[in-house]
Amino acid sequence: MTSRPIVTVQAAKEGEKSGASLALPSVFRAPIRPDILNFVHDQMRKNTRQPYAVHVKAGHQVSAESWGTGRAVARIPRVRGGGTSRSGQGAFGNMCRGGRMFAPTKTWRKWHRRINVQQRRFAVASAIAATGVTSLVMARGHRIEKISEVPLVVSDSVQDLKKTKEAVAFLKRVKAWPDIQKVYASQRFRAGRGKMRNRARIQKRGPLVIYAKDNGLCRAFRNIPGVTLICVSRLNLLKLAPGGHLGRFVIWSESAFRQLDQIYAKSKLPDNKMASTDLTGILRSDEVKAAVRPRQARQARAVLKKNPLKNVNVMAKLNPYALVLKRKAILAQRKALAKKRKADAPASSQKQQQKKQPAAKKAKQAAVKGKAVKK
Amino acid sequence: MNSDDLIWQIINNSFCSFMTKTKTSKFCRNEYNLTGLCNRHSCPLANSQYATVREEDGVIYLYMKVAERAHLPAKMWERVKLHRNYERAIGQIKEKLIYWNNWIRRRVIARFDRLLEVQKRSRRLVLTSETKLVPLSRKVERRERRREDKALVRAGLETAIEKEMLDRLRAANPEEFVNVDRAAYEKALQAVEVEDEEDDEESEEEEEDESESETEYVEDFDESEEEIEDIQEQQEEGEEEEPPVRQKLTLSSRGAAAIAPPRKRAKVTVEYDSD
Repeated sequence: MTSRPIVTVQAAKEGEKSGASLALPSVFRAPIRPDILNFVHDQMRKNTRQPYAVHVKAGHQVSAESWGTGRAVARIPRVRGGGTSRSGQGAFGNMCRGGRMFAPTKTWRKWHRRINVQQRRFAVASAIAATGVTSLVMARGHRIEKISEVPLVVSDSVQDLKKTKEAVAFLKRVKAWPDIQKVYASQRFRAGRGKMRNRARIQKRGPLVIYAKDNGLCRAFRNIPGVTLICVSRLNLLKLAPGGHLGRFVIWSESAFRQLDQIYAKSKLPDNKMASTDLTGILRSDEVKAAVRPRQARQARAVLKKNPLKNVNVMAKLNPYALVLKRKAILAQRKALAKKRKADAPASSQKQQQKKQPAAKKAKQAAVKGKAVKK
Repeated sequence: MNSDDLIWQIINNSFCSFMTKTKTSKFCRNEYNLTGLCNRHSCPLANSQYATVREEDGVIYLYMKVAERAHLPAKMWERVKLHRNYERAIGQIKEKLIYWNNWIRRRVIARFDRLLEVQKRSRRLVLTSETKLVPLSRKVERRERRREDKALVRAGLETAIEKEMLDRLRAANPEEFVNVDRAAYEKALQAVEVEDEEDDEESEEEEEDESESETEYVEDFDESEEEIEDIQEQQEEGEEEEPPVRQKLTLSSRGAAAIAPPRKRAKVTVEYDSD
């Protein structure tokens, strides 16, 4: 990428002139790889763990021996002695009450993970790049609808803020306050045992403020819920992509933003596997279209076979003359029927004349009518 | 590097805060979504060129987003107020989205139609629905009812009424008593006599206490006579307590006798109306 977009610096304090333009650092062009980031994030998160384990002797502080066979009891080791309800109870086994657990946890479990340097750098670069994509930051859940620009760069006077009140005023001016309000709204109690382990309250993550030099900034911002502060020289993946999800809302100070170019000199940045990630665009491009064969016409699908002797339409498809024949047959049949009725009609009327004359008349009329229709 | 496809891949596969799933489908809670579903086509985040129609305070606007403004969230959506005239509004839409994606054009118009329908319906509803539905909180209702019952019990309406009536009785002139229904009176008499045996002991005790504490005006210190007088008084009181009920006199005179404060030995003579 030769031409890089311009980022305008926003005024941090009232009365300040905004508008200094900075070129977007090349980090923001790094490939965004959620898979690498997720992996590295997982590994990194394990590095703050404190070991836990069961006591070495747990379940074994008992001299128990199996009673062996022949005593009509299970062969599990049993507590020796007498005089207490504990005597004779099973011991040692993971299935026994008061016994040692299966595979007692050990402190020498591998708690920490080492991650390759290149991978770590890749992940951080991806994370920074993702903070520059509006959609990703929105998708992550930050309320940045009113923000003037992404990435959000503010003048260096932020770093000189001393009072929390000023910090709040700053956030409001920059339109980052809705994100903090979201944090307030999300403050709640943790579900589960964590409550009694000093992890009672939880809340969402708000904006991340990245500075170059702390002239009171940290003290001003640290009491605002959700805000995290880090220095450019010490970018932390766990803060840039909390939860392994890309796109935290970041507020850069101007000098911090400038430093990014120095930190991520060209050689340090990972290469893109794809020059352009717009797959649909690629597939529709002229180059691809030219190389691709023309689209195939609709394939003929298998048709269910129908019996022409039963199905008139199928018969007609095979032999159009069949329709003609059929029609002739139908007409001939009708004619024959008509003749038959005519022959029958006078005979039946003679019989019925003795009983009912109007009925006979009706029959005659019907016969006449029938004839007329058939002709 | 940040193409729509890439964004869609990330949003779809990992996490999107606007996405909600049900058993059958995926919905998008983004307010600019054209269909409300979570789709490659419908996602306002994964399409750099996108348009919607939205209603704000009864006015319908056409919103448009282009790739050029993708990095300026505050100015991302261009808003056009649609004409009140349907034909003109459709014309506006078609003009603004002239070279756009076919699908978006059709969907925008469809959504516009739907919004108009909704508006129509809501206006009609306002005219027709007179009763406003007020939600009840089950918990609150139950609690209030329980409290009402308790308050009722605590108020002791019956006892208060009794007291009130007795006060009136005492204040009123005994000569004003009139027996209207002889039969009912007789009945009441009988009822009182039954109760009276129990009442006697109580009243006797009371009398003894009273004779020590307060001055009383008694003519004869004859228990039997006093009994009769007491009976008569009780009968009177019994009757007075339930003026509306003539036929059935359920005398709670026992209660009355027990509660009755220091009784004045006013002589009460009963007069019968000979009917």
